[in-house]
Amino acid sequence: MTTQEEEPKRRKVLDATMGLKNIMGRHYLAVEQAYRDGKPTAWATSGTPVELLYSMDVQPMLPENSATISAAQHLSKDFIETAEEQGFSYDLCSYFKTNIGAVAEKAEMLKGGTRKPTFMLSSDVICDTHVDWFQTQAERMNVPHFIIDVPHIVSNTNQRQYNYYKEYVSKQLWEFMEFIEEITGHEIDMEKARKVAENSYELGMLWQDIFELRKNVPCPVSTRDTFGGLFPLFTMTGLKAPIRLYKRMYREAKERVDNGIGALREEKYRLAFEGIPFWYNLKFFSKLEKWGAIIVYETYTYAFSKYVNPDITKDIVLNHPIEAMSELMLKFWYIYDLKTRVKKYKEMVEEWNVDGVLLHNNMSCRPNSCGLYDLKRHLQEDHDIPCLIIDCDMNDPRKMNETQIENKLSSFFEILKQRK
Amino acid sequence: MDTPEEIILAANLEAYRLFGDPSIAPTTADEHVPASHCVWTRNILEQGLRGLPKDIIGLVSTHGCDCTNRQFDIWLDTVDLDFMYFLNSPLKRDQTAKDFFIQDMKELIRQLEDHFNIKISDQNLREQIALMNKIRKKLKELSEYRNKMMLKFSELHGLIKSTLTTDKTHALQIVNEKLEEVKTRESFSNESLKRVLLTGSVIDDNSFVKNVENAGFHIVIDDMCIGTHYFWHTMDESGDPLEAIANYHFEKPIYSTKVPSHKRYKFIENLIDNYQVEGVINIAQKFCESILYDHPFLSDKFRQNNMPYLFVEKGYNREAYKQLSTRFDAFAEII
Repeated sequence: MTTQEEEPKRRKVLDATMGLKNIMGRHYLAVEQAYRDGKPTAWATSGTPVELLYSMDVQPMLPENSATISAAQHLSKDFIETAEEQGFSYDLCSYFKTNIGAVAEKAEMLKGGTRKPTFMLSSDVICDTHVDWFQTQAERMNVPHFIIDVPHIVSNTNQRQYNYYKEYVSKQLWEFMEFIEEITGHEIDMEKARKVAENSYELGMLWQDIFELRKNVPCPVSTRDTFGGLFPLFTMTGLKAPIRLYKRMYREAKERVDNGIGALREEKYRLAFEGIPFWYNLKFFSKLEKWGAIIVYETYTYAFSKYVNPDITKDIVLNHPIEAMSELMLKFWYIYDLKTRVKKYKEMVEEWNVDGVLLHNNMSCRPNSCGLYDLKRHLQEDHDIPCLIIDCDMNDPRKMNETQIENKLSSFFEILKQRK
Repeated sequence: MDTPEEIILAANLEAYRLFGDPSIAPTTADEHVPASHCVWTRNILEQGLRGLPKDIIGLVSTHGCDCTNRQFDIWLDTVDLDFMYFLNSPLKRDQTAKDFFIQDMKELIRQLEDHFNIKISDQNLREQIALMNKIRKKLKELSEYRNKMMLKFSELHGLIKSTLTTDKTHALQIVNEKLEEVKTRESFSNESLKRVLLTGSVIDDNSFVKNVENAGFHIVIDDMCIGTHYFWHTMDESGDPLEAIANYHFEKPIYSTKVPSHKRYKFIENLIDNYQVEGVINIAQKFCESILYDHPFLSDKFRQNNMPYLFVEKGYNREAYKQLSTRFDAFAEII
């Protein structure tokens, strides 16, 4: 390929995505307002039921999201180095270290800083790091910390086990509500909880609808819309405002589909991306366009639409919310066991008409990168799906070797070209 | 280390703990797990991929860290074993977690019974608890001879490893014999050894322990899973056996993989006082996240209490040990 000098092949992001900044602004204003009003606040890790916080009138903050904001503004490296000066290893999670540094340096919220919360909520549903992270910060800030322990599902977990796993998570969710009540004096408002659950469900399903549109050739939505567009699914799930944003995104994407317009002018290769993006270098993903490639599916961004488990219907979400939350915590894209991961990948490749898969071997996210090689092996050997592993890091720019990645990509596209 | 050996023994099977082998490189395991993951678990996976001894017919893996949890699926996918069970030892140590742990142990029993067509009765379990308690008591008694400077940790460490890999009746016999022999020894208190406490990741290579000792240290006490964690408490022999097993694992010294892991400091602090410890050595296997997260906390605590503290990250090959000798020598000087 010698297309670097060619005309830009992409269209701009969806107009609706431009509204994301306002939505994020709303979130930070709500946080500021909570502090002014003396309303309780909580740090939460991704994968935890933020809906419960909104239902009990607690303002959530997600330090992981804040860390990505630092990275997008090229501030994460300095924060990470501050954490390393405190003794945290070069090999530890770069989100965690960004947060340690940002707090130590009293960074403002729009630069990835966070404020001392009333309490913290973490879970090992995604990784142990979340728990270690909040244990460290809760002690430093002297605030209470609640942990939801989620049993680890493996490829031979049976239904009987799954049932008591679910019961265990449910019990802890009830305990968590008691914990909030004890600390804040707020009781659960069932009417509000129902509304929050309804909004959360609608938001998640809308995100899935947008992904459904991405099955079209050409694909109407690129990572320019999805990586940033993910933010409300973490922090604002349960609120009305992001629903309006996603509806606008959907309408606009649908219009592109109806008119045969793709996010890329000339779509040659359709790719899937596994893992967390490189937040400090999102421009990198635009470089794929020079090969005529577009990412049409990211497991990471899709996973957080939350309601991907077909057993969890709207009726269960609204009428049995704790049961639904427990089940959703136990089963979702980001934590699938290897066997399910391979099966889901195969289905996804077919449905989204994917030519190849990019797998991010994230140096500081071991739960995500463990199993990646075997996923690749199964996809290539059993299902003839071309895959490429990219060694990098989500928030630490020191671990990215852009030239090496580009060289690997170049060879990968040669393979894809031969298969066309 | 939360694997309930008593259940395996009650199933009339032998409990054989898998250890790493620092003489081999994880070349095949590296095709399955990135090289930026825990060196020790990759080494054990390597042995699985190369083929375990034929008399190993099953694997019980217990919820530990992200690496071990996720690698279980790779074992399932690539290693040919007759029986494989992932035991979800809970992260937390409260009653809800304990009830869950008991439920998961019941499931393990059920699967063992179904698979091997056997029956594991409460009576079987109680007998094994009693046997394991005898071993634990003797190991603890033996461990105390470290304080009298009549026993080196490397010897105790080797013995615990033997206990974890042999028939338990035989293990009890060798522990007893060692105890009787140690009682007759002269103290080596005249040697100018620094009294240290060893903590950190799973350290299973006996040569490494000897390496530390050869640098002029006497590991008078430890906070290791192949160490005090294995015998510090005993199990209740009178009540419900599964509850006794759960209580034992919840009350034993905490690992960095469980919460609150910082409670580990309290246990160490008591040991420091009781065993006149002059310095603490914390060893992390390379990429052992649990230990890496706790290190700055422990470091601060020891600094506040003027306790000399050495943190070392090590690879899993004996060549890598040699590079550490300068650091050990310097630490001995500081003490």
